[in-house]
Amino acid sequence: MTTSKEAAESRKIKLAVVEQYSAVAQRAASCCGPSEFPESRAAKNYADGALSELPENSVAAAAGCGNPVALASLKKGETVLDLGSGGGADAFLAAKAVGPEGRVIGIDMTPDMVLLARESAAKLGQENVEFRLAEIEALPVESGSVDVIISNCVINLSTDKDAVFREAMRVLRPGGRVMVSDIVLVGDLPQEVADDPESWAACVSGALPKDEYLSKIEGAGFNGIEVEGGTPRPDAEGWRQAIATINVRATKPGAEGCCA
Amino acid sequence: MRKDLMDILACPMCKGELTLTAEEEEGDEVVRGQLHCAACDETYPIEDSIPNLLPPDLRDE
Repeated sequence: MTTSKEAAESRKIKLAVVEQYSAVAQRAASCCGPSEFPESRAAKNYADGALSELPENSVAAAAGCGNPVALASLKKGETVLDLGSGGGADAFLAAKAVGPEGRVIGIDMTPDMVLLARESAAKLGQENVEFRLAEIEALPVESGSVDVIISNCVINLSTDKDAVFREAMRVLRPGGRVMVSDIVLVGDLPQEVADDPESWAACVSGALPKDEYLSKIEGAGFNGIEVEGGTPRPDAEGWRQAIATINVRATKPGAEGCCA
Repeated sequence: MRKDLMDILACPMCKGELTLTAEEEEGDEVVRGQLHCAACDETYPIEDSIPNLLPPDLRDE
């Protein structure tokens, strides 16, 4: 049972996260090309040219740590859900991969991000992608309706990761899969970093130890869990050596005649 | 939001079915309107074509 103190703390963190990413969205909406924008370091996770067809505001807003679309083996006609879709860059790449018969739904709790993503979708003329303002812990999606869930460096921001994985399991069809890039802890954070709400919004202090993160995925009922990464960036210094990106693939059991 | 994406939409709180009331439309697109969940009697607004399915305590921030 959540106590009122925990609920208040959770709400404080959520508002800090919304504030942080509203600021990113507003800067990305009004400014400059990606090269002038620090968050575009996320762009290094994509193949050369992969982002060049996307509206630059959405590329500038990208703040992910991986490239789940490239790893998700998306097929034409699939229904994809992007948890924490931000400016929409991954959703647009997914929409291209699943083609006009498929569809992509992006979920984000930051209004300015959803607005930016929607404007970019209109610029692209992509009709198979939609964005909804909602929380990834309480998905506005029917059970068993999704083929693939992607997420890029967002679940670490959640104050209830069990709920995120439980909801992911619920909305996937049997045999559906998740492809998640995220930040995990592979060492100890200094107390002052761990206690800083801004550090939570910056994808640091909300991150779980790698084993705990994976056991939550398993605990939600996923199987076939495969993990890549988990090593700090080579240029990481000081406490930043305690954080690392992982890519996790997992499957919801139950598809007939299948593999997992 | 597009009307043809209604079919996989559900109430974020109770997962009940949502009923759409469109107040302004452009082709297949609902620009302004409401989504109502009969099961938990919650109403979610659609503004600028974006359905706002945040829980009530985050919706007005």
